[in-house]
Amino acid sequence: MTERLAGNVPKALSAPVSQGYSIDARKLTTRLLNASIKSGVSKGRYITILNPDARHNLAVGIVKRCSLSFAGSVGYYCCAFCDGISATIEGNSGWGLGDNLMSGSIVIREDAGASVGASMRGGQILVWGNAGARAGISMKGGTLVIAGNSGFLTGFMMQRGRIIVMGGVGDAAGDSMYEGIVYVGGEIGSLGVDAKTESATRSEEVELRAFLKALKFRDDILPRRFRKIVSAKRLYQYDSLEPLERERLVI
Amino acid sequence: MIVSDEVSRREGWTNEVFQDLQVKADLGRYRIRGFSTFQRIAHFDDIIFIPRYISGRGVELRPADVSTETVLGTRYARNAISISTPVYITGMSYGALSRSAKTALAKGAAKVGTATCTGDGGMLTEERKYSTTMIYQVNASRYGVTPQDMISGDAVEVVVGQGAKPATGGLLMGQKVSAIIAKKRELPPGIDQRSPTRHPDWLGPDDLGIFIEMLREVTDWRVPVQVKIPACRVKDDVKLAAKAGADGIVIDGMQAGTGASSEVVLDHSGIPTLPGIVLAREALEELGLLKKVYLVASGGIRNGIDAAKAIALGADAVAIGQAAIIALNCNRELPGITDFVREVGVPAGYCTKCHTGKCPVGITTQDPLLEKRLAIDEAAVRVANLLSSMTLEMKLITCALGKRNVHDLTVDDLSALNVEASMMAKVPMVGSGGTLLKSAGRGK
Repeated sequence: MTERLAGNVPKALSAPVSQGYSIDARKLTTRLLNASIKSGVSKGRYITILNPDARHNLAVGIVKRCSLSFAGSVGYYCCAFCDGISATIEGNSGWGLGDNLMSGSIVIREDAGASVGASMRGGQILVWGNAGARAGISMKGGTLVIAGNSGFLTGFMMQRGRIIVMGGVGDAAGDSMYEGIVYVGGEIGSLGVDAKTESATRSEEVELRAFLKALKFRDDILPRRFRKIVSAKRLYQYDSLEPLERERLVI
Repeated sequence: MIVSDEVSRREGWTNEVFQDLQVKADLGRYRIRGFSTFQRIAHFDDIIFIPRYISGRGVELRPADVSTETVLGTRYARNAISISTPVYITGMSYGALSRSAKTALAKGAAKVGTATCTGDGGMLTEERKYSTTMIYQVNASRYGVTPQDMISGDAVEVVVGQGAKPATGGLLMGQKVSAIIAKKRELPPGIDQRSPTRHPDWLGPDDLGIFIEMLREVTDWRVPVQVKIPACRVKDDVKLAAKAGADGIVIDGMQAGTGASSEVVLDHSGIPTLPGIVLAREALEELGLLKKVYLVASGGIRNGIDAAKAIALGADAVAIGQAAIIALNCNRELPGITDFVREVGVPAGYCTKCHTGKCPVGITTQDPLLEKRLAIDEAAVRVANLLSSMTLEMKLITCALGKRNVHDLTVDDLSALNVEASMMAKVPMVGSGGTLLKSAGRGK
């Protein structure tokens, strides 16, 4: 999938950096590695992490603008709880890539595990391969782009933002979402509770195509049409007041 | 006379049951309310302390001689929490509670040198400003969660669930989802918000272990990470959380309070606080982690004696929610200001209408006019007074038992007044000289 799509894979947006250097992850514990990354980041340096070896919890809790590159695959929660990070992962990721991202940009060249962009509140995550289950779960803002397919429960309990899946999505897509939009270029396995599909409007199509072309997606691999999954809003009100409460509590 | 005879024979078919059925026939759904379970279950009143006389140490102590200093989180964290009393304010969300209520709780706790906890709605700047020790909650919903706020905390709490409503997420009814709350939680205003029950990014114990390490990395291993577990399958859950690397466990029994829950789970799920504490203590003992992993008990703790009993059963600290809310004037008629019957349809003392957002005393509301009824500084003093009273009560009972430190209380100091409590707390039934169930250890 990646090979087919990645005609011109963009680097993550670059923050101002003075000079770059690399850290060999194999020589450090996770604690020391993260401390080294944070220390380098505070000096405004571009950091390449060599041999990440699918280790968990790399580059988490960074709340400064910075540029990072992982020369390989990463484990769970890479770049979680970050604000302003700009990262490229030259491999696959485990669960929770970009978890709770506040702002910034994460690009992953291969596949992302489950819960990519979980509860992200801003910024952008671009997955050049496929994404596992629960992509964009509890998402609260920002944009998650998946060039390949996305697993079941994509956009589960999504609150805001948009997910763009150029391939298909698995079962229970958009389950219990409040707001936000999941654009799907391929097949939809099934819809989740309180989700419905609509056709993307002409202006949405135009905007989406321009957005994806800016990310260096070639014209010939863009889906012919996008459908969107949105909330049917049937769960918005439980009618929580009982008859007596309603009588008493009318303002 | 005939009528009362018939009523007395109705057993399970009481007037309350009739009304319940009629309301549900009107509604077509389960009922929702605030507060906590109304089930009659064994609780702290069913166990008592047994002081020693000739058989024990004849030390004459004053309450002032008793220490209540409490240190939590020495397993992995660089900076353990140090609080003056083992009682702190549990997590209650900004949203369920008003900004004024949250601020008053923070100020009140700080006055006595104890901790507060944020809740399922993010952190308020006032909360951080006024709390001397603030525990930052990471809930399944992640409402308002930011790395900056988390890093500013003095501890992190991963909420697996709540004792009041195990296996269900929080509810915040549309009446309380004001424009400000909606913005904070990134939701449409006025909707009935339902928090998820599972975290978005971890599911099982192995994931939890990685997740806890992630929180430690985010906070640079500076602060303790505790895991809040509703009392259900206590031994399994506590062992898994401790093994996953938690510094502390909060065990939340079924008597815990809530701003809104379905009555079904409030009254019919989870286990009481008494066995919750005992099973959690036993789980840590079996792992050899007692006193390495701290244990906080919560769920229906109303006074210093409840807190002391929880500590004697094995807790290192207790967290209060409902009790602190009552100190803020919950269910109290304020002459010239409130009229409970007119405003919520029940007299003060019987109100469980937290979920409606019409709290007459400005605690569980987002209505600015109602919120004004809560005078923050006065309320903070009342919270501080309650915490001081509870601490004094603990000191008094501790010195009555001939001990100098509240943390020296043990299960040996306790007996049960009835068979149920004896079996749940695994302490001897008074006068029987033994207990039907033997505890795995003495707790200290």
